[in-house]
Amino acid sequence: MSTVVSSCYKKPVLFKFSKSFFSFDNIRKTTDLASKPGSDEDEFRTLDIRGGKTPQTYSRKKQPRVVFPPRTERMPVDQDWSNVWPGPRTFHPASVPLPLRQGINKLGASPGKVGNVELMKIPNFLHLTPPAIKKHCMALKKFCTPWPRALSTNENCQKYFPLELIQTDYCHSSPSIRNPLARIITIKFPLDKLHLDEHAKDKFLRLVGDRYDEETGIVTIVTDKCPLRKQNYDYALYLLTAVYYESWTFEHWEIEKSQPDLEYYDWDNSKCKENLIHLFKQANQNMEENNLLVERLKESIVALFDEVGTTDHKDLWPGDVVSLQTCDTCGSSDSLEGGQPHVATNHGFHGAAAGHP
Amino acid sequence: MNLPRTTLLLKKITRDTPLDVPINVRCLHLTDINLKKQAGRYKKTPRGDKPLTYEMAYAPHRIAHYKSWNSWNTANLLDGLRPAETLQEDAFIRKFMTGTWHRLFLSEIIIKRQHNLIRIAGIIHQAIPPRKLYFLIGYTEELLAYWLQCPIKLELQTVPNRSDVTFKYI
Repeated sequence: MSTVVSSCYKKPVLFKFSKSFFSFDNIRKTTDLASKPGSDEDEFRTLDIRGGKTPQTYSRKKQPRVVFPPRTERMPVDQDWSNVWPGPRTFHPASVPLPLRQGINKLGASPGKVGNVELMKIPNFLHLTPPAIKKHCMALKKFCTPWPRALSTNENCQKYFPLELIQTDYCHSSPSIRNPLARIITIKFPLDKLHLDEHAKDKFLRLVGDRYDEETGIVTIVTDKCPLRKQNYDYALYLLTAVYYESWTFEHWEIEKSQPDLEYYDWDNSKCKENLIHLFKQANQNMEENNLLVERLKESIVALFDEVGTTDHKDLWPGDVVSLQTCDTCGSSDSLEGGQPHVATNHGFHGAAAGHP
Repeated sequence: MNLPRTTLLLKKITRDTPLDVPINVRCLHLTDINLKKQAGRYKKTPRGDKPLTYEMAYAPHRIAHYKSWNSWNTANLLDGLRPAETLQEDAFIRKFMTGTWHRLFLSEIIIKRQHNLIRIAGIIHQAIPPRKLYFLIGYTEELLAYWLQCPIKLELQTVPNRSDVTFKYI
């Protein structure tokens, strides 16, 4: 037996417990009972623990959860869709008033949009409707300046800005915006835009090597040695400047360049032309009279040497030589065989080649 | 000593085979290879009352045909960056989500990455009051953003019943 005196009342209330053990719940119950209204204040109130009239314990009723109906049911027909779906977002069935389905079901219809993970996985373009794009463009328009009139065509752009700069930005799904490949810089420009004389152009092409494309006449310089794009860009421009000025310098050893070192067939200083002049002189003819023939022969031989291996010249040159021969035969028949073996033989090419190995 | 004959033999023979297999063991299979694939496949129940979601209903070889990936990123493309880190982060996010949203996710956790933004999507059960839901969303976004140093967006869809995502019963 134990007695507890509660001090929260004016008069001490004496409780009797049949057990020596009590918990906080017991105290709560007792205070509830003790503070019952209408109880006589003069007498000690006793607590009947063993049953009797006990107040009903309060049990929380499970409230039905209020779930709002999907937003699609309250949408007006003429709403502005870009306000509903302003940016990229995972698909949500309660916001999209379209009867969408996704998935394969062999036994029935494809799964609908509610509770469909496949629709949430795929990227959607609901934020990129044509009106939304238009709105976007209109918002950006006030920051734009008109395109320069002088650059209205691509030709004009290439004319005024001959240097083409190619750099690549990479978009990743990663927290880092760096990509080592973004450092690479390519610059392109047509060679004829550079102010170069014959010697300088020759030297430039030798310095540039295979960076020059003969078909298009465009020089391409790629720089990727430096770790940063800016550095590579500066390096590319430095290379261009250096090569340009280097090609204009004339070193003393460049005087030693002779006929075989030329990168093209120099007709005017060739042995072949010399022979031809000699031939005409022997035939007592003026070279200018047969200008057409000489031109054709020149073209053939220059093409023969400059485009080695690119075209089949076997069909090209004998015709010209033969026509030359016939022309000469009209003037003086024996001069060809005896006087000029270089051009007039069946293998006149060899004779010409003797002047230009 | 009264040992069986095989034991005696094993003791005598020097084991010089590369796989350290005793010579008297027959290394010959007379049965077909089983080739049993189990990953991502579910066993039929006798009653046929096991609910499967759409994702579970199709085996992994159906990915990109019947169902799509759960992780969307560019790490595993040609010349993609950070493939290992991305995989590890995705695994971490999945673990964190299943622990934080305990018994709430009814679908797989979808992780979509755009630049440095990570979108985490999925279907959850309406088992907790919206107030708690909002707390969990903020909590998850905040903590994951702190750990991964990326903006995180949780884009969830809720369904009232677990059976709403059931595709079929096996």
